[in-house]
Order: sequence, then structure tokens, then C-alpha cells
Amino acid sequence: MPQQLIKVRPTKIELVKLKRRLKLAQRVQKIVKDRLSILTMEFLQTARETVEAKRKLVDAFSAAYKALSMATGYHGYIALEKELIATEADPKVVAGSRNIAGVRIPSFELRGNGKPMRGYNLVDTSSWLDHAAQLAEKCLEATIEIAELQRSLELLGMEIKRTKRITNALEYIIIPGLQVTIKYLNMKFEERDREEKGRLKRVKVLVARG
Amino acid sequence: MPNSSPYEKMLQECLRGELRVVNAGLPRSQKRLSDLLHEEYPHVICSDGSTHFFKRKELEHLASMINTEEQEALLLLPMLIELGSNQAEAAIICQTDVEEKVISKTLSMPLTPKQGRITIYKPQLALLRKKLKTTTQYVFSPKILE
Repeated sequence: MPQQLIKVRPTKIELVKLKRRLKLAQRVQKIVKDRLSILTMEFLQTARETVEAKRKLVDAFSAAYKALSMATGYHGYIALEKELIATEADPKVVAGSRNIAGVRIPSFELRGNGKPMRGYNLVDTSSWLDHAAQLAEKCLEATIEIAELQRSLELLGMEIKRTKRITNALEYIIIPGLQVTIKYLNMKFEERDREEKGRLKRVKVLVARG
Repeated sequence: MPNSSPYEKMLQECLRGELRVVNAGLPRSQKRLSDLLHEEYPHVICSDGSTHFFKRKELEHLASMINTEEQEALLLLPMLIELGSNQAEAAIICQTDVEEKVISKTLSMPLTPKQGRITIYKPQLALLRKKLKTTTQYVFSPKILE
């Protein structure tokens, strides 16, 4: 793609200004590129973890449903419903945030409700129900984990897109434009020097003749 | 002829903004592991005023690596990972030997600090960040601009 010249007066001061601007643009590009590489690394890591977490979530739910069906089969639907209607869980999810290279991403953590018992009658129920409840708790953990990972993935993806646009603008528009303009100005000055030399030679000849 | 100053101003702003954004997550002050373990919601305040939360599981994992209370008191969190001029490597800032011990155990390899910094490469950095997500933080050093 041909680079557009920046419209500037062909003076030495402008050339110095352009050189300074180029240096600045290169500094910005360096920092943006480093940030992009870190964000990409984190994004890929999060994507891998999300795949793993999704697999875990599906496994956890499948195991929990199986255990619940077993418990239902053992106790009967009505008896199980009667037991479970009285249970109450009060799980606590601590939500915070953390910062990855300028991107604030959420952080969730499931804390126990502090109750050692699950709420249902242990005398009337069996270990099948305990097992189902235990697996259901794991499902909750997996759900919270995937919520954090998916939101992180979205936010990191958006930031990568934004940073990439800045990098591309610097790499393909701003820096080449500045370089081309500097080159053009240098050529213009060289041409002026050559013209000046030619003029001086001519004046010298005229003076020598006269 | 267009005036060049707004253009230069925009670049300056961009550079300043980027540096501010990338280092916004830096903690105002680091906290000791032993203190964080006693907090209900372990966190530190970042330079932009936001909070950086630590996961209790991670803190407990770190505490299990360094069992003595004295060592727990020496470990300052979050551990800082400095990104310098070389894109392929990063440096972990070590104030005491405890950081070295923790990082060595996490990466399962011997490491030697040099001038208060442990140099690690990108694959190791990814592994470290995977295991210690909330207890490590990136620092974009001014050396990056050299």
C-alpha cells in the first residue's frame, strides 16, 4: 500500500519534529505490542481453561443427575421431595476483580455457607442422597468457575481487538507515513543542496569570466 | 498547512495512556501472606484505586509450600512479574529467598535470582500464571521503552 505523505513545510525544523514524532510512535508501538503479546498469552490460557472447565461442568452435572435419579429411585419421588423441601442452602459467592495488563476481569470464589449439615433429616434419608448433594455442590463450584472464565475470555478478547487496531494503525499507517515523509524531506534537502552547488558553480564561472 | 502539534499531542497522550493503563493494576503496597490469610476478603488496593482480590485457595496453596510462619511473614503479595525490553523473557522481582522457593516449587525447577530478579521464559510464565493467577501481577517496566 503506498504511504501517504504528511503535509508539512519542507524545513529543517519540521524534519526534526517529524523525527521526534517517529521515535515517539515507535515507543508507543513497542509498549502496545508487548501488551498485546501478554493479553494473547492470557487469552489462550483462559481459552484452554474454559474448555477444561466446560468438560468438568458437563461431567459434574451428568454425575449429579445420575446420583439424584438413584436417590429418587431409592426413596421415591414424594418422599425425596418432602425431605428436600425443608433444606436451605446459603452459599456465599465472593466477587472481586483483578487486573491483567490493564484489563479488569472478574474473580469469583465460592465459600461454604458455614453450616455443617445440609438441612435434610439424616435418619430418614440414605447415603444416596448425601452423594447426590455432594455432587450438586460440585456442580455449583464448576458453574462459578465457568462464569469467571467465560467473562474473562470475553473481556480479554475485546481488549485484544482494541489493542490490535492500535498496533495495526501504528504499524501500517502512522509509522510508515512518518518514515516516508522523513525520506521525502531528506531527498528534498539533498536536491536543494545540489541545486545550490550548481548555482554556485555557475556564479563562480560568471565571476571568473567577468 | 496543518498544525503538527495536535498530532504530537495525540501520540504523547497515547503513550502516557498506555503506560497508565498497563500499570493500573499495580498494588499501592504489597501485603504479607500471613496477613492476607487472616483477612476475610483478602485484597490489595491498586494504583488506580481499584481492588485486586486474592483467591483463598491460592493463598492456602502458597502457605502449604512454605510451612513456617516466619516464611509466610516474609512473602509479599502479589508477586511482581516485570516485563522488560526483551519480549521473550520476564523477571520476577525477589525481595527475599521465599519468592525464589515458591517459584521454584511452582515451576518444579531450580532457579537462581540475579540482582534481585528471577528470569523466566514465556512458557514458564504461562505455567506460573496458570497456577498463581491472583497472587502474581505484571509490571511494565520503563526499560520496555529502551
